[in-house]
Amino acid sequence: MEKALREKARELLTTGEANVIIGYEWNRRKTRATPAFITKADEVDRLIFNPLCVNNLSIYLTRKNKDILRMGKPAIVAKGCDIKNIVVLISEGQVKREDVVIIGMSCNGVVYKQGLWKGELRPEIMPVKCHNCDVRNPHLTDFVIGDHIDFTPPETPRGMVFDKIAALDAKTPGERWSFWLEEFSRCIKCYACRQACSLCYCERCITEKNVPQWIETSAHQRGNIAWNLVRAMHLAGRCTFCGECERSCPANIKLNLVNQKLVLTVKDAFDFKSGYDEKIHPPMIVFSPDDTENFIK
Amino acid sequence: MSRIGVFICQCGTNIADTVDTEKVAEEMKKIPGVVHTQDYKFMCSSPGQKMLKEAVKKHRLDGMIVSACSPHMHEKTFRRACESAGINPYMCEIANIREQCSWVHHDKTKETGTVKSLDLTRMTIERLKKNQPLKPNKIPVNKRALIIGGGIAGIQAALDIADGGREVLLVEKTPSIGGNMAKLSETFPTMDCSQCILTPKMVEAELHENITLMTYSEVEKIEGFIGNFRVTIRKKARYVNEELCTGCGDCWDKCPFKQDSEFEHGLKKRKVIYTPFPQSVPNIPVIDAPNCAMLQKGKCGVCAKVCGPKAVDFEQKDIVVEEKVGAIVVATGYDLMPNEHFGEYGYGRIKDVINGLQFERLASSSGPTGGKILRPSDGKEPQSIVFIQCAGSRDEKKGVSYCSKICCMYTAKHTMLYRHKVHDGQSYVFYMDIRSGGKRYEEFVRGAIEKDGAMYLRGRVSRVYEKDGKVIVQGADTLSDSQVEIEADMVVLATALVSRPGADTLAQKLGIGYDKHKFYNEYHPKLKPVETVTAGIFLAGTCLGPMDVPESVAQGSAAASKVLVLTSSDEMIKDPTTAIVNDFTCNACWDCVVACPYSAIEKTDIKDREGNVIRRLAHVNDGVCTGCGTCVAACRSKAIDLKGYTDEQVYAAINAF
Repeated sequence: MEKALREKARELLTTGEANVIIGYEWNRRKTRATPAFITKADEVDRLIFNPLCVNNLSIYLTRKNKDILRMGKPAIVAKGCDIKNIVVLISEGQVKREDVVIIGMSCNGVVYKQGLWKGELRPEIMPVKCHNCDVRNPHLTDFVIGDHIDFTPPETPRGMVFDKIAALDAKTPGERWSFWLEEFSRCIKCYACRQACSLCYCERCITEKNVPQWIETSAHQRGNIAWNLVRAMHLAGRCTFCGECERSCPANIKLNLVNQKLVLTVKDAFDFKSGYDEKIHPPMIVFSPDDTENFIK
Repeated sequence: MSRIGVFICQCGTNIADTVDTEKVAEEMKKIPGVVHTQDYKFMCSSPGQKMLKEAVKKHRLDGMIVSACSPHMHEKTFRRACESAGINPYMCEIANIREQCSWVHHDKTKETGTVKSLDLTRMTIERLKKNQPLKPNKIPVNKRALIIGGGIAGIQAALDIADGGREVLLVEKTPSIGGNMAKLSETFPTMDCSQCILTPKMVEAELHENITLMTYSEVEKIEGFIGNFRVTIRKKARYVNEELCTGCGDCWDKCPFKQDSEFEHGLKKRKVIYTPFPQSVPNIPVIDAPNCAMLQKGKCGVCAKVCGPKAVDFEQKDIVVEEKVGAIVVATGYDLMPNEHFGEYGYGRIKDVINGLQFERLASSSGPTGGKILRPSDGKEPQSIVFIQCAGSRDEKKGVSYCSKICCMYTAKHTMLYRHKVHDGQSYVFYMDIRSGGKRYEEFVRGAIEKDGAMYLRGRVSRVYEKDGKVIVQGADTLSDSQVEIEADMVVLATALVSRPGADTLAQKLGIGYDKHKFYNEYHPKLKPVETVTAGIFLAGTCLGPMDVPESVAQGSAAASKVLVLTSSDEMIKDPTTAIVNDFTCNACWDCVVACPYSAIEKTDIKDREGNVIRRLAHVNDGVCTGCGTCVAACRSKAIDLKGYTDEQVYAAINAF
C-alpha cells in the first residue's frame, strides 16, 4: 500500500499535477506518524501509511496554514473520515475541488494510543468512529490506494460516546447543565480544539473579536462556557465526528460528546449528515421550501 | 465626551400613569455624557418638537434619546426634528417605554414601571454613545414597471401608471387579458354588464402607447432590487405569428378538433386553435399544443392552410426575454376551490351542480347558452335553483377558515339574474350569515329577497343527491328549527376563493411573504395595504385575499400610485441601516449568501494588479439589503455588522442593563 502511495506521489510531483504532497511520515523515533509535506519527487519514500496515521490532514488545506497554501497545488493523503472534512470545506467555498488532488486511502481503522499498536489492528484498540465508519472505502477521491474493504457499519451507531449521550439524555436539564459546567470548568482556553479542527478555519475566530469582546478570554467559568458552547453551535450541522478536537484536548473535555449530540440532532431535524455531498451547503443556514419542519413555513 | 439630550414623553397618561417621568428625567441627568433631560406631556406634538429643537441649540447636543412610544410610531418624526436642528438623524434613538413598559405594567404606584423605564433609557443612552452618523443611500431608479397578471387589478394599475407617463410591461399567463372579471355576466350592486365595463379598459391597455402587452407569458426569474429589477419572462409559443395575424377567425372556424373551454369552465367546447373569448385582447389565437394533431402527430395543419396572411407557424418556439424594470406590481388573482372538496354537494358528480363562475357564464349574454339559464344536464330551463353559500369558506375542517367575502353579494345577484330571466323560477339560498357591508350592498340583498322573491334559509346543507332528474337538497333551516328537503332543478355552489396554484412559487421568486392560504402578505394590513416587505414590489387585487371588483380596482390604482411615487425621481433615498462586511475578517464561507432572504449579498473577487484573484469576499448590496440582520446572526467569525445596530451598540446596551 505504501509502495503504491509513493509511486502515485512520485508521479504527481514529476508531472507537476501537484506541487506538494500532504501525507504522513515517521517521527524520528519511529513511534508515531506525523504530517509530512513533500515537494521533491526523490523524497516520496518518506511517506508512510498505517493505523497510526491518525491526524486529520485536511487542516492543511485551510487558510489557517498560509505557508502550506503557498507551496502550490496540494495532493492530500486522506482517509474517508478526512475526506468528509474536505467535502465540508468545498461546500463552504474554502477549497475548490479542482484545486486539490485527493489521494483516498482504503482504511481498516486507526489506533489512537500508539503504545497499544503491536503491528496488528484489533477492534479493542480502535476509536468509536472507526467501528461506525461508512467510508472505509473513500468517497470523494481522484485516486484510491488500497484494496476494496468489505465492512458494513452497524445500523444504529454504537460505542461509548453514544452510550454516554443516551445516559445524558435521560437526565434532567438541570443535571445536564451541571455535568457540562463541571466538564467545561477544566478548560484552560488553549484553543487546541480549534487549532486541530479543519472546520474552524476562520482567520479571526469569534473569541478573538474584541470590539466588543463577546467571549471572555480568561479561563474562567463564564468564558469557558461561552467558548465551548459557541464552538459547538458553530459546528452544528458541519462537524463530521473526526474526533480531532477531543484527541487534542489536554484537559480531556468530552468534546465528542457535545459534537456528536449535535450531529444526531441535525440528522433528526434535517435528515442531513455532513461530509458526504460537496455540493450541499450545511443545513443550519439554508432555507429550503422542502425543509421537513413545517413550522418554518 | 458626548452631549446627549434625553426627552421623556408622558404620552398624556399613557406613560405617566405607570411611570414617574420626572424621576426618569432626574436620574438620567446623572449619567456621564447626558447634558440635558426633560419630560413633557406629548413629545410628538409641535410644541414638543419645538422644545426638542431649541434644546439642541441651547445645550449644543450631538445626540438625543426620546423615551416614548415604539420607534414604529414616531422614530421618523423625531429623527426629522433632529435633522432640522442640525444633528445627523441617526444620532437620535428611541427608548420604547410605552408598548414595552407602561402599557404592560399596571402598578399605579409607578414603582416597577419607573425602574424599567430607567433601565430602558439608560441602555439606549449607552447604545447611542456608540452610534455613528449615517448617510442615506441613493440608488438609481429604472422607471419602467412590470405588472404580473392582466386581470382587472393589473389592467387598472397598468393604465394608471401608463397615464402617469411611465412605461409598463403587462405580463399575462393566459392568451388574453381580462382575468376572472371577463367571465362575469353582470356586476353588483349596479348590475351593469361586466364585459361592457371591462372591455374598454382592455382595449385601452392594448392601444396605450406606454403599455407593452405580453400575453401567454410567464415570469420565470426575478433578480435585482428596488429600482433595478431584472426579470426573465418566458413567452410561450403561440404557434401564431403575432405580427401577421389579423384575428379573422378562419383558423378556429376550420379547426376540426375540440376541447373543453377553460374560459367557459367546461360548459362549452373550444377549438384547439382558439382565443379564450370573442373580445380577447390581443385578438390573436393560440394553439393548444398538447391537443393539436399537427404538433403531436404531424397530421392536419388545416389552420395553416386556411390562414390568409400565413401567420400559423408550427415551428415557433418559446422565447425567453430579460427585461429591466424598477417596480413590480403583482396582481395574479384568484381561483375557485377545486371540486374534490365538495363530495357531499355532488360537485363534479352531479351535472346540475355548478359553481358560481359557471352560473356567471350561463347568465352571460356571450356565454354558452347566449344568456339563457339552462341546466347543463339536459338543457332545460330550471324551475327552481338552490344556492349554497360558504361552500368551502368559513369551514376550517373541510375548506378554508376565512370568509370569501364576495359570495353573499354574487349569490344575491344570481337570484336576481335568475328571476329576471326565468320569471316564475324560485330560488332558495342556504346561508350562514349575510355579509353585505359596503355602499348600497345591503339594499341590493334586500332587493333580491323582497323584490325578486329569493327565499333565504339560514342553515347548512348536509347532502345533495340526484333523483328522477331532480337534484334533492337536504339541509337545515335553523330559524324555524326544521329540516328542509328541496327538489331543485339545479344547485349553484358559492365556492370559496382560493389563491392561484403556484402562488407560493411566484412569491419565493419575488421574495415576498404569503400566509398559510398562499395569499400574499401586505407590509401592514392597515397602513401599507399594497406594499410588500420587499421594497419595490407591490400587490393589487385578489392575490392578497378575497375582494370584489371595486376593491381590486382601488388596489390597482393604489399600487399604481406607489409605483409613480417610486419612479417620480431618478434616484431613490434608502435607509442606511444595512449590513456591512468587514473585508479583513470575512472567510468567504458564503453562509451569509445562502442565508440572505433578499439575495442582497454577492460573492466578489479581490484582484491584484495582474488581475489574479487573491481573495474572495462577501459584499452587501446596499440597494437590496433591508437590514434584517439574518447575515449578522449567520456569520461565524462576526465579520458582518448592521449599521445602526452594530455589535458594539448592542453590547453597550446589554452592559448598561
